[in-house]
Amino acid sequence: MVETRFDETIHAPVRLRICGLLRPVDHLDFAVLRDALKVSDATLSKHLKTLATSGYVTSSKVASEGRGDARRITWLTLTRTGRSAFDAHVRALRQIAGSST
Amino acid sequence: MENQFQDPSPDEAAASLNTLSTDRERLAASVHVPWVLLAAFGGVGAWWVSAAAATNPGENYEPPSSGWLALVGTLVVAYLIRRETGVRFRKMGTRAGWAIVAIAAACLVLFSVSLGLVSFGMQWAVTLTSLIAFAATTWLAGVAYRSAVEQLRRG
Repeated sequence: MVETRFDETIHAPVRLRICGLLRPVDHLDFAVLRDALKVSDATLSKHLKTLATSGYVTSSKVASEGRGDARRITWLTLTRTGRSAFDAHVRALRQIAGSST
Repeated sequence: MENQFQDPSPDEAAASLNTLSTDRERLAASVHVPWVLLAAFGGVGAWWVSAAAATNPGENYEPPSSGWLALVGTLVVAYLIRRETGVRFRKMGTRAGWAIVAIAAACLVLFSVSLGLVSFGMQWAVTLTSLIAFAATTWLAGVAYRSAVEQLRRG
């Protein structure tokens, strides 16, 4: 049976959007996610830390010499727990919105 | 379990769901198709097909070892595309699957045709089959990539 659960950690607007963008991909670069959300590095980092503390998001860093600078690419991904929690939360939102099937 | 937090109103919930769709649309729109790197896929395909020119079709035929190198080249280009775009797709879609099958089929057919041309002493014609392999692979890789972006848009 599919779970429907409202998740307060995820529902904070920026965190919901972070999870929404990470859900359909395997990994997403920190910079790509920041630009898509139009938030600052600090704001994104703060919310990612909250999600990571809950076990919903993990990150890994790799060198990025190919980009012509010394930055490191930070790959972000939703964990299995994070995907389950996000899916359950979206189902809860659909139920509340009255569009649940 | 009792929810200790206040649930959003139906309108707020619908707005949140709409925001998720809008974000996916924006992300998909921002992902540019890396044509230079997709052309590198085409280069790998063309190089593999062109290897037929250096073979000796007939009883003494020995398949070239370029197949493994082409596979390594393909993996390297795929890695570079992920690093360039900052996106690793989870699903690429059915259309992408067919495009990848078509790339393999096209290169195999063109390699076989090239072997036939070489057996008739027409090594020069392998240039044409290699060019066709380049164009077909690049175009089909583009089809596959756009399919993946479309999957991202749908969520």
